[in-house]
Amino acid sequence: MVDRYKALLQTFLPVIVLVLLVLLIGGYDPTFFAASNLLSVTADTMTLFLMASGVTLVIMMGGIDLSVQAVASMTSCILAAYLPRYGIFAIPLAVLGGAVAGFAGGFVSTRLRIPSFIATLAVSGVVISAGYWFSDTRSVNIPAELRDSYLGWAVGDTLGIPREIWVGAVFLIILSAILQLTPFGRLVRGIGAQERAVMASGIDVNRIKIMAFTLSGTMAGIAGIVMAARLGSGSPTLASEFLLPAIAAIVVGGTAITGGVGSIWRSFVGALIVQVVRIGMTFMGVSVFAQQIVFGFILVAAVAITMDRSKVLVIK
Amino acid sequence: MDPGLRRDDGLMGDHDLIGRNRLKTAALNGGALAQWRKWAPLAVLLALCILISLFNGNFLTIGNFIRLLNSAAIPLVLCMGATFIILMGSIDLSVEGIVALTAVMVSLLVTNDISPYAIGLFAVPLAVIAGGVMGLLNGLLHVKLKTPSFMTTLGVGFAGVGIAMAVLGGDTVRISDQTFRFLSLGRPLGIPMAVWIAIASVAIAFIIQERTRLGRWLYAIGTDEMTARHAGIPIERTRILIFTVAGLFYGLGGVLSAAQFGQGHALISQGRLFTTITAVVVGGTALSGGVGSVLNSVIGVMIVVVLANGLVLMGVEPYVQQGVQGLLIIAAVALALDRSRLEVVK
Repeated sequence: MVDRYKALLQTFLPVIVLVLLVLLIGGYDPTFFAASNLLSVTADTMTLFLMASGVTLVIMMGGIDLSVQAVASMTSCILAAYLPRYGIFAIPLAVLGGAVAGFAGGFVSTRLRIPSFIATLAVSGVVISAGYWFSDTRSVNIPAELRDSYLGWAVGDTLGIPREIWVGAVFLIILSAILQLTPFGRLVRGIGAQERAVMASGIDVNRIKIMAFTLSGTMAGIAGIVMAARLGSGSPTLASEFLLPAIAAIVVGGTAITGGVGSIWRSFVGALIVQVVRIGMTFMGVSVFAQQIVFGFILVAAVAITMDRSKVLVIK
Repeated sequence: MDPGLRRDDGLMGDHDLIGRNRLKTAALNGGALAQWRKWAPLAVLLALCILISLFNGNFLTIGNFIRLLNSAAIPLVLCMGATFIILMGSIDLSVEGIVALTAVMVSLLVTNDISPYAIGLFAVPLAVIAGGVMGLLNGLLHVKLKTPSFMTTLGVGFAGVGIAMAVLGGDTVRISDQTFRFLSLGRPLGIPMAVWIAIASVAIAFIIQERTRLGRWLYAIGTDEMTARHAGIPIERTRILIFTVAGLFYGLGGVLSAAQFGQGHALISQGRLFTTITAVVVGGTALSGGVGSVLNSVIGVMIVVVLANGLVLMGVEPYVQQGVQGLLIIAAVALALDRSRLEVVK
């Protein structure tokens, strides 16, 4: 019985932390509790969540994707550069760009048998160059009328709720369904928990891995599109500050980097924690620059807490 | 069936078999394949030089050669640290963070337009030690919290850039201390001071690697950590020490960066991590640990620098460099990794 409570506590610890943080900030500044403020905070978190959501799948397999920030920047460039020419078709083109980049990371990692962190790091180099190429090394503005007609789904309000939240919620549901209800989702968990067992049961592990990496690139691509829609421009360095918070969001949410344990809603909660911590630090007068120091250490601490050490004999 | 064809088939089969056997025993008796692997980076470097000089007559001039050495200086210093860590089978993603931090620190300590310290060359050992402290932090967190090195160093690296940004608030410090800038710009015997410092770094790293217990232990850990542990090697202490030594080299790299550009800012190290890891793996040091040497990294740095120089001479846009380096990492790792040891690749 006690064990059950302990397990429940572990599952909902991130949620408890989030609620405590919100109460703490609300205690200092009651206007924080205003519905409009809470909604705008959540809306601001959605691009981070979109980015983290795909990587969650990769981390659950025990791998990592260090290319998402480069991919999001690149797709923002693709979108901004091709929106005037191809209209609405620039969006699927940008998503495709993300998917191809994700596929490349997965392909290099699995087929050439290179550890995923170095494979995706290498791919991110190529992706960054591609971003510069698409944007002609500049930041590209998206004209207001094009933005209104093609990217309206990502900005503004529907039923009083910012559309970023709707977009985030849709992908939260889709990815959770993929992870919880499909054989693919089960295999992702299985690979993270015990890769050799999945291999021995005759599953093409590489194919599942490549699919997960592709999904990760795709989500990063979508995050880049939403970012470009919000800012009204695309740039080859648009998302370069997002890698640390995205990975922090995932591990703070309770997904272990050793794989096997995790879910998409955890990354959702983790992204909100990251955002709320950031707001809290701004309240306390910690400079934006210094916040990165704190996040660096939060990342290491969260990894240390969530990691399952029984799974790795030697920590490299 | 044509008998000739069948004989050919048989021959090809034999070749294949010999090749495979060599692959298996290469690590044990240093067969032809191991020999080839050992010399491949040097062959690539020579081929690259010949190819570029065919396309462009300006490549093989003394002026260009000195320019090459000069741009190789900082990557060389950084690679000395990174090679040690990769030889242990770990990885260090904090290169940019530590370089940024130490570059900003040293530029605030010498004569500059923001802070009043102006302690001149005394700033150099302080900044190098600061790099060592960051490396020590890497090692302590990695070993004591038992977190994988890539995650630990990612976090510490971000923190390093964060500190550099927080100290300067995003500004740039301009250095006006000419004695300090001599560290990069001075030219004893016609060769830039930075190159002399890089050569000294390589010599020190080589001595650590070949002539100290630390160097021997780090090969043992990289080859097989469990066995090394059973043999009584103090794994934890060695790991922490190696991360600290690497931090010292990055600190020196930061000092040289500040001296070269005459300024310090948080983004001074952008792209350094990429170049460093590319150079180490292109030089033939295996990411799986235990195989390679700091001398390999010297070749690796020269390959990266010559390629970059060649691309510039051929008029390729500078932003393509990072993409080319990315492809180089993939190619080099794919060719060099001894995958027979790895069943599960994470």
